Amino acid sequence: MADSDVGPLAGATQNWTTLALMVVVGAIALASLYMGFTNYGEGNMETAFMYILIGVSGFVAIGFTFFKAKPATKTQDGPKEVEVVTTLECPQCNLKRVRAFQPGDYIFKKDEPCTRCEGMMTVTRINARKDPKEKKD
Amino acid sequence: MFQLLGQVLQQQDSEIGMILNTLFSLAFIVYLFYAQKIQGMTMLRQIEVSLRKIKRYRDKGKNVAVEAIKDYGKPEQDPTPQVERFIEHFMIEPVSMDPAGVVQKLGSIMNVREFTFKQEVVRMAPEATESQRNNLENLLEASLVLNQFYKIIRHYYLMGKKTMNIYIIMQIHMILPMIIKQIEAYSAALQAFRDGIPIGDSVGPIVASKLLNGAPTKLVATEMMAGEIEFEGRRVIVTKAQGPGGSVGKPGDAIDFLVNREEGKVKMLITVDAAGKLEGEEVGEIAEGVGAAIGGPGVEKYKIEKAATENNVPLYAVAIKQGMEHVVAPLVEELMEATDKAVSSVKGLILDYSEEGDTIIVAGIGNTVGVGQ
Ligand SMILES: [Zn+2]
Repeated sequence: MADSDVGPLAGATQNWTTLALMVVVGAIALASLYMGFTNYGEGNMETAFMYILIGVSGFVAIGFTFFKAKPATKTQDGPKEVEVVTTLECPQCNLKRVRAFQPGDYIFKKDEPCTRCEGMMTVTRINARKDPKEKKD
Repeated sequence: MFQLLGQVLQQQDSEIGMILNTLFSLAFIVYLFYAQKIQGMTMLRQIEVSLRKIKRYRDKGKNVAVEAIKDYGKPEQDPTPQVERFIEHFMIEPVSMDPAGVVQKLGSIMNVREFTFKQEVVRMAPEATESQRNNLENLLEASLVLNQFYKIIRHYYLMGKKTMNIYIIMQIHMILPMIIKQIEAYSAALQAFRDGIPIGDSVGPIVASKLLNGAPTKLVATEMMAGEIEFEGRRVIVTKAQGPGGSVGKPGDAIDFLVNREEGKVKMLITVDAAGKLEGEEVGEIAEGVGAAIGGPGVEKYKIEKAATENNVPLYAVAIKQGMEHVVAPLVEELMEATDKAVSSVKGLILDYSEEGDTIIVAGIGNTVGVGQ
C-alpha cells in the first residue's frame, strides 16, 4: 500500500499560497485601518468609516480562513464507537434487565438463568444507546 | 459600494492612498483572471482534508479486521498481508449487451466471490466459529468498501491536482458530502461486525424471528432457515438468513424452494426489508406496498419475482424506513421499536388479504448479524 502517496498531499504549495494571500490581505487591512484612524483624527468621518470598514473586513476574512481550517484538526482521532446495550427478559416472570452488550450476545439468545425464578432469560433487544449530546432532528 | 470606494480612494492625495488604490486594482485584476484557479485550489484543499479523514477510516477498517482475526481466529502468522490482499479484491460484472441470462451469470460470479471470501476467511482465521467467520467476512467486506472509497477519492484528487482542471475537481467536490456520509456509515459497520451487533439492515430478520417466536427451524437453502407458525387459522412459513453470524443468505433460493415445495398452495408472499428513507421521513416509519422488497444487485430479487410469477403468488412488501447512516451501523432504538410495528403490519396484511386455511410465506430480508432464530 503506497501510503506515502498522501505525503505530498500535504499541499505545501497550497498552504504557502494561502499564507501569502493572507499576508497581503493583512497588509491591506492594516493600511486601511491606519488610513481610517488618520482620517478620523482629521475629522473626515465618511472616509474614515470606509477605511475602517475595509480594514475590519480584511481581518474578518483572515479570521474566517483560520476558523474554516480548524475542523480538519478536530476530527484527528477518526471514527468513534457507540455504546450498545442488551436487554434480557425472562419469559416466565417478566423480569427485565439491561446491561452493556457483550460480544456473543444476539437477539433470541437464551442467555443466563433468571435471578428471580427457574427460567432462562432471553435477549430481546440489542441497540445502540442514544447519544445524549445528539440533538433530535 | 465600488463606486463609493473609488471616490474615497480618489480623494486621497497621500502616498498611502495611492498604494492602496494600486493594491485594490491589482487584487481585482488578479481575481478577474485567477478566480477559477483560486476556486479550484480551495476545493482541492477541501478534498484533501476529506481524503485524510477517509484514509483514517480506511486504516481503522484494516486494523479492526486484523485485530478481530487475531482475536477470533488465532492464526499462526500475522494476517495483515492477507487482509491487505483481501481488501483489493474486485468483481467484474458480466457483460449486459446480450441481456438474456445476465442475472444467472451475475449470480454465478457472485457465488464464486462468496466462496472465495469464505475460503479466505477460513485460511485467515482457522479457529473461529461459523458465526465469527461470517462476521469476519462482513467485516472484511466493509474494510474493502472503505479501501475502494479511499482509492477512488484519491484518484480524483491527484488527477485534479495534476491537471488543475476545475471540472475534474468539481465532480468529486460536489458528491463529497454524500460520500463522507456513506464512509462514516461503513466505518460504524466495523464495530457491528467485529462484535456481532445487529445493524439497521437486520430489521427484516428481527421481524422474522419475532414472528417465529422460537418455533423450530430447518435449513432450506444456503444459509437460509425456515420455520412454520399458525396465525388466525393460516399456515405461515417464515424464512430468514441463518443467524446469529453476519449473513444475508439466499432468500431467492429459499422462497423458490418453499413455493415449489408447497405446490401452488402459497397464496401470499410478504417480504420485509429495510428501505432508504427520504430526508424528512422518520427513522423507523413502516410502509406497506407490493413487489419484492429486497436490495442488492438484483439476483435474489429476480429469483423471488420469478418464483412468484410462475406460481401466481401475489407479492406484498413491508418496508422499515431508515437513513443511509443506519443501514450498516449498530441498530438504533427507533428501529428496534419499529420491528414490533412491522410485525403488526405483517399480521395486518395477512388478515386483510388472505383467508383461513391459506399458506403464506413471510421472508425477513437483510443481514442477520446478531439475530438468532
Ligand atoms: Zn424469571
